[in-house]
Amino acid sequence: MTGEDLLFQSQIRQVVAEAYAGIDGGAGRPAAEQLYSEAELASLPPAAVDWALGVGNPPRHAGLQPGESVLDVGSGGGIDTILAAKAIGPTGRAVGIDLLDEMCGRARDHAREAGVDGWTEFLRGEMEQIPLPDETFDVVISNGVINLSPRKSRVLAEIRRVLKPGGRLCIADLTVNEELPPELKTSDAAWAG
Amino acid sequence: MSGALAERAFARKIEKMGFADVWIGERIPYGVERAALYPLFTPALIELMRELIPPDRQATVAVSIIAKARRP
Repeated sequence: MTGEDLLFQSQIRQVVAEAYAGIDGGAGRPAAEQLYSEAELASLPPAAVDWALGVGNPPRHAGLQPGESVLDVGSGGGIDTILAAKAIGPTGRAVGIDLLDEMCGRARDHAREAGVDGWTEFLRGEMEQIPLPDETFDVVISNGVINLSPRKSRVLAEIRRVLKPGGRLCIADLTVNEELPPELKTSDAAWAG
Repeated sequence: MSGALAERAFARKIEKMGFADVWIGERIPYGVERAALYPLFTPALIELMRELIPPDRQATVAVSIIAKARRP
C-alpha cells in the first residue's frame, strides 16, 4: 500500500466523519416507512424513527432468537439496535457502535424510551477497529455504513473477529452495478452520501 | 455511494474475508429521489446526480441489498 493510498483513505474517512457530524437529523419517517413495517415503527420512539439513516431492515432478516447477543455496526440513532433488542429480549445483549459520541447518546435515550436499555448499550467506535473482544456475538448487523468505509475488507475482518464461530452476519448496504460518472466517483460529497 | 461496490464484488469480498454461505437478496432500487431524503446527500450532490446520471438510470443508480453469511 502506498503513501498516496493511505492519504486517500484518510481523506475519505475525514470527509465521511465531518459530513456525518454535520447532520442535524435523519431521513425521517418517509424513508423509514419504505423499510420498516407499521408495527415495527409503532414499537420505536418517534425520535429514533426521525433519525433513520439506513437503507434496509437487517433485524428482519437476521433470524434473531431470544437470548442471542447482537452487535449493530454503525448504529446511528439506534433503530436497528432497538428492534434487535426487542427480538432477543432481556436474556440477550444488544450493542451498537457508532463513530460519534453524540449519536451514541441519542441512541441511549431512544433505547431507554423503548424500554430495552436494560440489555442494550452503545459505544463509540470505528467499524475498522471494533472496540470489543474476539468471539463475542452470535449475530452482527449493519445498515448502510460499510459502503462509507475505504477499508471494507478490514471492516469485514473485524466483524468476523467479534463473531462467535457459527455466528451470523446480516448487512444491508448499497451496491452500484453500473459505473458512476467520474465526477461523482471523485466527489467528496458522494463518498459521504 | 461512491464507495459502494458492485453486488458480485461485495459478495466475493465477504467470502474472501472468511465467511461461508454468503446469500444476497432483497434488492431495493435506490434512486436519486430516494437519496434526496437522506441528509448525507447534500442538495449540491443531488443536483450533480440529476445533472450527470442519465434520466433512465436515475431511479436505479444504486441498489440496496441484504447480505447474509456465517462465520464457519
